[in-house]
Amino acid sequence: MGYIKLSNITFTYNDDEKPIISDLSFCVDRGQCVLILGDNGSGKSTLLRILNGLSFPQSGEYLFDGEKITENCLKDNVKSKLFHKEIGFLFQNPDVMLFNAKVYDEVAFGPRQMGLSDDEVDRRTKDCMRMMGIEDLYDKAPYHLSGGQKKKVALASVLALNPSVLVLDEPFAGLDKKSETFLMDLLFELKESGKTLIIATHDEARLERLRDVSLRL
Amino acid sequence: MHIPENYLSPATCGVMAAAMVPVWAHAVKKVSVELPKEKMPLLGVGAAFSFLGMMFNVPLVGGTTGHAVGGTLIALLFGPDAACIAVSIALLIQALLFGDGGILAFGANCFNMAFILPYVGYFMYKLLLKAMDRSESGKDIYKYISAAVGSYIGINVAALFAAVEFGIQPLLFTDANGLALYCPYDLSVSIPAMLIPHLLVAGVVEAVFTVAIYAFVRKTAPDMLYENIKQTGSATEAKHSPIFALVAVLIAATPLGLLATGTAWGEWGADEIAEIENAGQALGYTPAGLANGWSLDVIMPDYTLGGVNEVAAYIFSAILGVALLIIFFKLASLFIKENKNGYAS
Amino acid sequence: MLPDWMKKSDNYAPPRDGGAFVVKTINSIGLVLSRLKVQRGHEKEHALPAVLKLFIVLSVIVLISVTQSRLLLIGVLAVTELYLSTWPAEDILSIVKACVFAAVLAFIIMLPAMILKPYGIGNNLIVILKVFLSVELMNIFNHTTQWNHITGALRKIHIPGIFVFTLDITLKYIVLLGTLINDLLTSLRLRSVGKNNKKYQSVGGVMGVTFMKSTEMSKEMYEAMVCRGFTDDYSGL
Repeated sequence: MGYIKLSNITFTYNDDEKPIISDLSFCVDRGQCVLILGDNGSGKSTLLRILNGLSFPQSGEYLFDGEKITENCLKDNVKSKLFHKEIGFLFQNPDVMLFNAKVYDEVAFGPRQMGLSDDEVDRRTKDCMRMMGIEDLYDKAPYHLSGGQKKKVALASVLALNPSVLVLDEPFAGLDKKSETFLMDLLFELKESGKTLIIATHDEARLERLRDVSLRL
Repeated sequence: MHIPENYLSPATCGVMAAAMVPVWAHAVKKVSVELPKEKMPLLGVGAAFSFLGMMFNVPLVGGTTGHAVGGTLIALLFGPDAACIAVSIALLIQALLFGDGGILAFGANCFNMAFILPYVGYFMYKLLLKAMDRSESGKDIYKYISAAVGSYIGINVAALFAAVEFGIQPLLFTDANGLALYCPYDLSVSIPAMLIPHLLVAGVVEAVFTVAIYAFVRKTAPDMLYENIKQTGSATEAKHSPIFALVAVLIAATPLGLLATGTAWGEWGADEIAEIENAGQALGYTPAGLANGWSLDVIMPDYTLGGVNEVAAYIFSAILGVALLIIFFKLASLFIKENKNGYAS
Repeated sequence: MLPDWMKKSDNYAPPRDGGAFVVKTINSIGLVLSRLKVQRGHEKEHALPAVLKLFIVLSVIVLISVTQSRLLLIGVLAVTELYLSTWPAEDILSIVKACVFAAVLAFIIMLPAMILKPYGIGNNLIVILKVFLSVELMNIFNHTTQWNHITGALRKIHIPGIFVFTLDITLKYIVLLGTLINDLLTSLRLRSVGKNNKKYQSVGGVMGVTFMKSTEMSKEMYEAMVCRGFTDDYSGL
């Protein structure tokens, strides 16, 4: 029994065109790390969109924790929220993830919605900022940060939701050497604590020690 | 508020487009003086922003949503003159590519949403800010209240103009039997029909949308706001001449002039139109009635209702009005200059 | 390094909350983007030049609007429908949808007038027919013409370069900024896992970031133009 299970997925953007993903099946267990490899335009991003319930395949089945994920079932407000809480998505371009006026608000955006007490929200937010080494930036506007800092804020704001699955799209792009090492350590710890990691990358070598399965598109 | 095709008569559309000409000319002139050259692509980008703003669904109570026009917001972000051009382009693309708002009604739509809305909204904002913040403390709350009230008034005045444009159709454009050829509702219906939803809902949506975005930009990147660019900008600020606005409003008002059936402008109201309506000839007015009003019948004695003559007369009167006004103001400015020179020497 | 709460999984039951505005906006902007990015219509290779088409469509729309001749309206209607009938069914559907919607809306608006003043019904019906025809013609034009050909057409009828340049930029940036708004809203949706009590702040954030990005992009665009030899002369564009 896989935690995340795709069977015979086929996806096209345009009915007449060749499908970008055709007849793809794979299975991920809880706590595993999967690398999704492929060249530009091979369908990595599309696959990540499907995993996050943003696009839906024309044929095939997507099971998340035994539950079938379809366009219709995500129309249910509560179900969709629970699903998105469990699966966190780091976009390749962190710019599109930052829409709050302050870094603190950005990270607190998720926890604030979850009906936690104010202290708990504050604790989670500060923990996440400390973890990513961005606690000094708390009252800065995310918009004006550098690319690497933006990425850290974006990741902190995903982690603040405490999802059990993390989907990361090119997490190392735009980071300096120091931040890279730091992120590697963090990913190891996340995996150790039982989080499932799905990482799209074209740099297989770096993540060799972390991965359990590779999927080449 | 997008007026579709055929609700307004082509003559009205022509007049409204003519009314926009001085506005556009003024806006282009002012923008080219005020905006540094490197900001020229900003007009197109601003138009794209304006277009997308009109597509944005603003959350309302109970999960419902509404659309804002965002005219005042664009004026606060880019300045009122750039806003006029940006919104006009956005409206053109909507009409030309997406069939939203009529092609012929483009002038009327621009008049309401690219001229009245951003200028009224922006100057209400300025006015309120001045009135509230006497010590110029620059407190945020004053700015937000001014932006909210300014945008609320802006969209409602724009809606009022749209309502008047609709409302004069059955009074001016009727067939031989006095039956309406275009929009069948007169002012007594069109004004409440347009204003009530705008006062209650659309105005609120507009205000909320404006303040939400304005406040965010003020907090995160105040140097990108028009008011702050203007203060620090090196470009010399061009003076706003109220004449262009006056000319535009007066051209747009020519149909009202046609309506003045022996009544002075200010006294004319919705009630009276109802009276005229009751006076027998359904909805209509008679050429005899016109004789007391504008001097049209003197210029064009063959003036008849319906058909080409009436349309031509309508447009000619508008053009004539503009020409006379321009001549008048040119002469007036001549005198003013002379006076100034007199003081100087 | 990980805090304790992150090592456990939450037992979380989300509350019901609206947020329809996000999905609705994503959908409506998505429609615009697909219209601008992908040509859904069928532009024939040897079609009439866009400028001629635009001229014909505008003339007919003016004619429809001005005329009171029912015969002429019926004539235009007949020719238009005849032309439309040669189209593939799918394309016909997208045209008919739009103009039937406009006509129904016009009918609803006219309804009180028709009831109150039944002797005016004839004219009201003509207005509805005119609305239907104008929308249909405009849609046919849109459906068979790519937008870059439309701006090309405007250039040919000697509309000033600066204006066409601005229009071109606008269309390109509608796609760029529209994509940005949709991505921002998507990430907002993914992180909206509960009750968002500050929806208006989120709206302000999404459009505020888009505004700041747009001024930044326009500056970069100008710099890129200068680097490629542009000398502040917009008239030749």
